[in-house]
Amino acid sequence: MEILRYDIAILGSGIGGFTSAIHASHHSKGRLRIAVVSKLHAMRSHSVSAEGGISGVLYHGKGDSESLHAYDTIKGSDYLADQDAVELLVRNAPKEIKFFEHIGVPWNRSEDAVIQQRAFGGMSIPRTVFAADKTGFFMMRALYDYTLQLKNVDIFHENFATAILMNKGRAAGIFMMDLATREMKLIEANSIIIATGGFSKVYGFTTTSHSTTGDGIALAYRAGISLKDMEFVQFHPTGLIPSGILITEAARGEGGYLRNSDGRRFMEDYAKSHMELAPRDIISRAIMTEIGKGNGVLHAESGLEHVWLDLRHLDRAKIDERLPMIKDITIKMLGIDPSEEQIPVRPVAHFTMGGINTDIHGHAMLNGKKHADGVWAVGECGCVSVHGANRLGSNSLSQCSVWGRIAGIEAAKNAMSARRNDAKALHAQAEDEEMRITELLDRETGSDPYEIRKELNHLMDSLVYVYRKTNELKRAKKGIERLRKECDSIVVNDKSSVFNTNLRDALETSNLVELAAVVVEGALRRKESRGAHAMVEYPKRDDKRWLRHTIAAKKGKGISVSYSPVKITKWQPQERKY
Amino acid sequence: MSRDSRFMIFLYAGMVLVPLFLFLYLISAVAHLPYETFMLGLAAVWMIIFGAVGSVEIYMHGREPEERMPLIAGERVNMGLDSERGRRPKGAEQVNVRIRRFNPETKKFDEYSYRVYEDRLATVLDTLLKIKSVHDNTLSMRYSCRMGICGSCGMVANGKPILACETNLLSQLDESKSITVEPMRGHPILKDLVTDFDQFFEKHASVEPHLYRKDKEEQYSAESAYRQTKEQVNSFLPYSYCIMCGLCMDACPVVNSNTEFVGPQALSQVYRYYKDSRDQNGKRRLLDADNLHGAWGCEFSGSCSKACPKGVDPASAIQLLKASIISDFGEKG
Repeated sequence: MEILRYDIAILGSGIGGFTSAIHASHHSKGRLRIAVVSKLHAMRSHSVSAEGGISGVLYHGKGDSESLHAYDTIKGSDYLADQDAVELLVRNAPKEIKFFEHIGVPWNRSEDAVIQQRAFGGMSIPRTVFAADKTGFFMMRALYDYTLQLKNVDIFHENFATAILMNKGRAAGIFMMDLATREMKLIEANSIIIATGGFSKVYGFTTTSHSTTGDGIALAYRAGISLKDMEFVQFHPTGLIPSGILITEAARGEGGYLRNSDGRRFMEDYAKSHMELAPRDIISRAIMTEIGKGNGVLHAESGLEHVWLDLRHLDRAKIDERLPMIKDITIKMLGIDPSEEQIPVRPVAHFTMGGINTDIHGHAMLNGKKHADGVWAVGECGCVSVHGANRLGSNSLSQCSVWGRIAGIEAAKNAMSARRNDAKALHAQAEDEEMRITELLDRETGSDPYEIRKELNHLMDSLVYVYRKTNELKRAKKGIERLRKECDSIVVNDKSSVFNTNLRDALETSNLVELAAVVVEGALRRKESRGAHAMVEYPKRDDKRWLRHTIAAKKGKGISVSYSPVKITKWQPQERKY
Repeated sequence: MSRDSRFMIFLYAGMVLVPLFLFLYLISAVAHLPYETFMLGLAAVWMIIFGAVGSVEIYMHGREPEERMPLIAGERVNMGLDSERGRRPKGAEQVNVRIRRFNPETKKFDEYSYRVYEDRLATVLDTLLKIKSVHDNTLSMRYSCRMGICGSCGMVANGKPILACETNLLSQLDESKSITVEPMRGHPILKDLVTDFDQFFEKHASVEPHLYRKDKEEQYSAESAYRQTKEQVNSFLPYSYCIMCGLCMDACPVVNSNTEFVGPQALSQVYRYYKDSRDQNGKRRLLDADNLHGAWGCEFSGSCSKACPKGVDPASAIQLLKASIISDFGEKG
């Protein structure tokens, strides 16, 4: 085991992780030693797949204001968002957009050379800044390239973290495995920023990359940190059949229609004023209702039922300028030119609103009211919460840049003042962790991680989807309970030390199963319909009993659930109509 | 495999058993043998048949782990399995997938071949993942976004550089319905299809691929947005599509013979930042590229641009860079 010392360890190298690294570096004037750890090549994080854009009010006095952005976000969240956090988001988002412009992102420009904005679902006015339909990719490349010049930031490509080590409720270090050599490493650090993204890979049909397995959330959960609102999983209305690849909301923002098997724009029955630009939860339910009525279309190869996304009426030049990647993907994957044919789409697991329970500064919380000293969570893996029960498109990129900066600066302040941890206790913890991995590798018989993941995906896809029913959730809970037991006897057939992805897959699978159990537990208990959580038996929102966050913590092999109030500042809950 | 094969075994057993019963019954009836003799014969046949069924089952179950773990160093292994538990999915075709896997212990390539059924929508990556999860857990490759934007899954299929996730499988087959997959050349190889990117990243970093501003504080504080016309954006936009997959380095004949040459990926990034009107380091960028390891190392074979899956066209970037070194020198920066 190799022992490394850093002031700040950042787990994850997406937009949240890199933003934290840059701002922590600047805040300390290059003095603090910062490690960015990625299980991939750092520039390949799932943030590269973000397509449509980043939200923020750039131009006041043209009908837009920060308070309108906040209102849209809160209404979109079905009033579960913490309103003080939302105000912080909308206030800081414009600054982050300009920061990305200053480090090289090629934002789309209008004729008069200024940054352009496009329409997005649930936003009352076009306020989404974009770089074609590759926004996340361009932001990632700019961040990676900018970070390369920071001498005090070391990037650890392809190191898979297996544990967050705490000492008496304080951050102590992270334990990781170098994929190239299987060498085990301990990073001692007084500040840890978790930025590992969401966990949509609990589903089989998902927009997210293979790497989106919620590792950081699972590690935090095992380290005693609590999770918030895990039952809220966003289903994006337009996942491409059969792979689930994201077809950006910008396709509808630029004027695309949704049609059922009769060719009718069915959104007029569900959201008459916003039509295809209603929030995602509403459109996803509309699509599943249409399919339930028999107005879906059957896809031969996959057996999936879908509706159509129609872009045929859009100008070809507009598609080439603003949606080039979508066009490229539909041509390469399905042989469909969106100017000639309709695109088959269906609701798809896309974003996990829930995650590590943090305060307004992204500071992680233990169970109860105590902070996990020295631990922050930013981006999709954290739940501040600004998205509440349903995120609006393009708010995620603003969220991870805004809290990347906040957490980066907070973590730097902490690292400059914190005491050193007890090295002896930490090394003993690290040795235990090393033993755990070795034992896993040595096991000769037991369960197949790929079978476990396949079953998990099937359970989640079929029983914890857009509409949820109590008896189906109970079945899912039972199934996941069985899979959790199987995870204890998981077998890694590849015993080699060079680039052992079998071992990584096994560890990821255990992480996914752990998190899926929390999703289902929260969903079973929440007896109402709010945002992305739609219960067939309880079709109404119930503010009296359920205007509160679900807090889950690990308790032995089980889950302890409690609730915390939602922060309301200016916007009292109202009926949500679009 | 177990449930389906058991069903088939019982089906076949039934096909044998029913005529046998009829035959026995006929014999006993014709020969006027006592009823007990018929029953004894019947019991004997039952035992023989079930014994056979049992041993076939044990045989098949016993073989299962062996089939899933074919890693035998240096040997050619042929996997006669299909992807979906012995059943052919609707509309699927049988494909021979040959994988040239680098063995880090022997430092040699071993060729493995697998037979799978895939439908018209399967990508090369879908197939590799299926082989890894169902047939052979030891197979290693890089992958992540599976939508052609993260740059992980560059490899060579039937001699052509591809991104496995956005390449349709059936369209790549040769006449014998085969595809041969191997790691990229032009990079050291770690294992199987996984190459070592360390040098590639160093070369990228060596050209200072970031927007350079003289006033660093102003750049960091980002108080107000810069102005840039559409034309100014378009002049560098195509070169900013680089996903760092490494395929251009695989294709470049110079990189493969001269390791000092910084290569098409890094040079395209030099040009990308040089052409960005927000960048204030133009002169320095041209100076740095003005040597044989830089722009002048390129022999303009054009293979990098052909290999690029994102249409970056590094070859043209390098020629434009050369032209800028000659003509624009001193105008910028």
